[in-house]
Amino acid sequence: MLLRKMWRDLMKNKTQFISIFLMSLLGMLVFVGLDAESSGAAAAADAYYKKYNLCDIWIQGAGFTDDDIHTAEHVTGVTDVEKRLALTGTMDLGQGDEAFTAYMYINFMNSNNINSLMVYEGDPFDGESEGVWVQEWFARTNGIKPGDNIKLKLDSTTINGIVRGIVDAPDYVYYVSESDVMYPNYQKCGLVFLSPSMYPDPSNIIYNQLVVDVREDMCDDESISVIKEKFETAFDREDIAVTDRDQNLSYATYDAETKQHKAMGLMFAAVFLAIALLGIVTTMARVTASQRTQIGTLKALGFSKAAITFHYVSYGFVISTLGCIAGAWLGYLTLPPWILGMFVGSYLVPGLSGKITGLDIEAIIVAIIISTLVSFLSCRKELKDPPAVTLKPPAPKKVRHSALEKSRLWLKLDFSTQWNIRDIFRNKLRSLMGIMGVVGCSMLLVCGFGCFDSINGLMDKMYGELMTASNKVLLSKDAGYDYAYDLASRYKGQMIEETSVEFVSDSVKKSGSATIIDKGNYVHIQDKNLKPVKLNRSGIAMTNKMAGLLNVREGDFVRWHLVGDDEWQYSRIMQIYRDPSVQGITMYRDVFEGLEYSFVPTAVLTNMSLPGDLSDEDEVSTVLNVADMKKSFAETLEMLNAMVYIMVIAAVLLGVVVLYNLGVLSFVEKTREVATLKVLGFKSARIRNILQKQNIWLTVAGIGFGLYTGWGMLYVICTTVSETLDMYPILSLSTYLISICGTFMVSIGVNFMFSGKVKTIDMVDALKGVE
Amino acid sequence: MFGKKKKQDTNLLEIIDLEKDSEDLLPDTGQKKRKEKAEKEDEHEVLIEFSDVCKKYSQGENEFYALKNANLTINEGEMVVILGPSGAGKSTLLNLLGGMDSASSGHIWFGGEDLTTYSDNRLTRYRAENVGVVFQFYNLIPTLTAYENVALMKDIKEGTTDPVEALSAVGLKEHMHQFPSQMSGGEQQRTSIARAIAKNPKLLLCDEPTGALDTGTGKEVLKLLQSMSRDKGRTVVMVTHNSFFADIADTVIRVKNGGIENIVHNDTPKDASEVFW
Repeated sequence: MLLRKMWRDLMKNKTQFISIFLMSLLGMLVFVGLDAESSGAAAAADAYYKKYNLCDIWIQGAGFTDDDIHTAEHVTGVTDVEKRLALTGTMDLGQGDEAFTAYMYINFMNSNNINSLMVYEGDPFDGESEGVWVQEWFARTNGIKPGDNIKLKLDSTTINGIVRGIVDAPDYVYYVSESDVMYPNYQKCGLVFLSPSMYPDPSNIIYNQLVVDVREDMCDDESISVIKEKFETAFDREDIAVTDRDQNLSYATYDAETKQHKAMGLMFAAVFLAIALLGIVTTMARVTASQRTQIGTLKALGFSKAAITFHYVSYGFVISTLGCIAGAWLGYLTLPPWILGMFVGSYLVPGLSGKITGLDIEAIIVAIIISTLVSFLSCRKELKDPPAVTLKPPAPKKVRHSALEKSRLWLKLDFSTQWNIRDIFRNKLRSLMGIMGVVGCSMLLVCGFGCFDSINGLMDKMYGELMTASNKVLLSKDAGYDYAYDLASRYKGQMIEETSVEFVSDSVKKSGSATIIDKGNYVHIQDKNLKPVKLNRSGIAMTNKMAGLLNVREGDFVRWHLVGDDEWQYSRIMQIYRDPSVQGITMYRDVFEGLEYSFVPTAVLTNMSLPGDLSDEDEVSTVLNVADMKKSFAETLEMLNAMVYIMVIAAVLLGVVVLYNLGVLSFVEKTREVATLKVLGFKSARIRNILQKQNIWLTVAGIGFGLYTGWGMLYVICTTVSETLDMYPILSLSTYLISICGTFMVSIGVNFMFSGKVKTIDMVDALKGVE
Repeated sequence: MFGKKKKQDTNLLEIIDLEKDSEDLLPDTGQKKRKEKAEKEDEHEVLIEFSDVCKKYSQGENEFYALKNANLTINEGEMVVILGPSGAGKSTLLNLLGGMDSASSGHIWFGGEDLTTYSDNRLTRYRAENVGVVFQFYNLIPTLTAYENVALMKDIKEGTTDPVEALSAVGLKEHMHQFPSQMSGGEQQRTSIARAIAKNPKLLLCDEPTGALDTGTGKEVLKLLQSMSRDKGRTVVMVTHNSFFADIADTVIRVKNGGIENIVHNDTPKDASEVFW
């Protein structure tokens, strides 16, 4: 029978219980959804890496011989070593207006037991015979099929080959061309594998990469770093860079992405569950308080305290269980397919699907336990007294005057202000819940729109403040200084060299890039506080993020060398600057040449319009137009858009649900007071204003906190996004305005629904029934 | 109904057995006296006895006695009316009888056991097994129908009367699927009585059972309660401020200022239908 009573009580207070249900549901939906998505993504990648034997260590260097392979194979723990020649080139695709030049990663290899290719169509890879194996996405989007003849441009030579297979590679789940900042475009950036016999000069091929497979029981971080050190001693060469999976762009980016989703899920879930708990506290306290006489009756009839406690605790238990399980189920069904669907264009991992983990089950259980415990705590008050006491109406609350009420100022306040201040302080929990709802709503709005602002700000900074040229001409390897100089003088350009560098400080080793700039006015730097500054004339400047990773400061020394050159430099960092996308060092050409390097321009920056056939010249690799880059970049922000949509939808739902619940609570509690005011002759409109006033106060307070915490949330997201990106949270005025107005609209709108009810209160009825 | 009556008898026997078993353990105080007294009574078995019962409330340094040194005896099958103005201690007396509150000092004997020594849980069991309560404002669970309110008793005691039977006994078979809000005050009070008697309690406690009813309906309820005592042999204790009700009682206990003023036995109680107020 008590079960029936519970069911009917739930129905009677359905608004509040639905809001608890919804909050539990939303919390679990987001948590389980994102966790299942990220776990599924991680599991799919792990399976893929395992099946196709992703290498554990990469060794890059100027050239490796078969002796080097033997050396590597003799290091303890190493099971297999293969050599590669990894180069970049281009490929002309499309016709007419659609024509474009794709950026190509070109790999030559004679065996394929490590980083094995996954073949979708055609023959398995064969290092002995001729042919080209093309990455699947690139092939599909550009209409390349097995049997087609394709032309690859490698510096000044062209390789002609027949497509033998359509493949994916475990070491290339993510890669970007030089023109893409963060988001890959696999139609315009291709990946091909060829046998060494396809190399323009097969007898003189020099391999620049070794891929190493390590025994499975030695794949932990510690053993890997031991093996890496052994390589460095074994080779005893300065030109090599030994990296592991965590330093690999493809592996690390994917790993970071899945981890970030997991963290986001936790953050969202915490917000929603906190609000669900507040909902349970207020609702259960109200339900048990309003059923005080019933509780007394049950006690008098002989129900044990345990039975009554169990009865009321089951409300919270049932609702949170239903909410959590429904949320988990919905989350599992909706979010993984949606988000993993967007993964498809960004990450080349086969077999992506959501996966429920033990953590999800634990999270559900913990959420239910906490909700049940909270409902126990909130109804305990009515249960402790003997039935004779509980049967009587509760003793009136001891009301104390607050400091404010004793002050002289109090008397000057009008009735509605006094009434609202008292109401807020006497219902602290309810007020707190209202503020929390508003905080959550505005926080998510600020954070969501702030993501847009920050990305746009990043683009504007990169292509409007730090690099002010409208075109960037990338030169091919053998363009030479004279060609670059010629091009620069023809188009009033600025020559720059961008190259890879390895840094060492104490025990930390990081790879980054060096930018060497010649005379000109297209490259600018900004200090830590994003103020434009002049680049130091006499030394090197390091990016803030790289300095942080190396744990060095301005004035400290750092050891570095160019990748492919075994001369180590020991330089003082003269300046710290910030760059959002490229981490490393920048210096003037004369500083670079002062270190006895020769300046080899890799790009020319210019603001003049360039002839369309410039990219056809052998010395030119690609011509990048900044406006086009910005446009194509904006189109690839799908993933971010999805996150922002989730946040905005969540914000509005959160606001509506919490405030509606709160509205019901306070309206029910105030019915008698409002009826009394009406009997005394207050007009409905006046009463509505009184009620609205409190709502506006709480909303304003909530928005204040919300803007602040939203900024904090955005800061966390921006700073943890990746190791190579130095993003800073940016909030535009319009974001502030949208967030504030949006929150106000939600708050006032919801409140209006209730204050409209003032008219419908029946004075006589409301004052008659005490229960 | 016959079968139920039999069951009640066995319950009683069990309690008597229990007393015998624990006789040696009993302290040499009131318990033995009470037993002797009970044996002397030929016609009536003593059900409840209060000896020097006090109920004290303290607020800071102020002490207030809601009940002071109360001594009384209630026999099985009696119809008892506790009379007194408001604030006299009637409700306190009723709460103590029903195990809904605990005494500050003194002893309350029920079937040979001292309620004042009971733990909270034991007291709950006492209420569940022995006491049926009828409240002034009925105190039905608003979200349960009449039938369900009565059937609720199955959750706390085994061998309760079938809810339909209990509701038929109070003449509410037709209305048993209505919610309290759909019933009149008299119907709600009769449901409340049905709920109380469904447990087959030894003691039926009524707190101003007609207080919220009009005279006509009140009289119906009164008749029902009287028949519970006369025909079914239940002990009925009714608290009221209405002195007219004294006429229908076997025993009238008058309460004043937290003390027992007097106890009067009435050999020829009136029929409930003869009372007017």
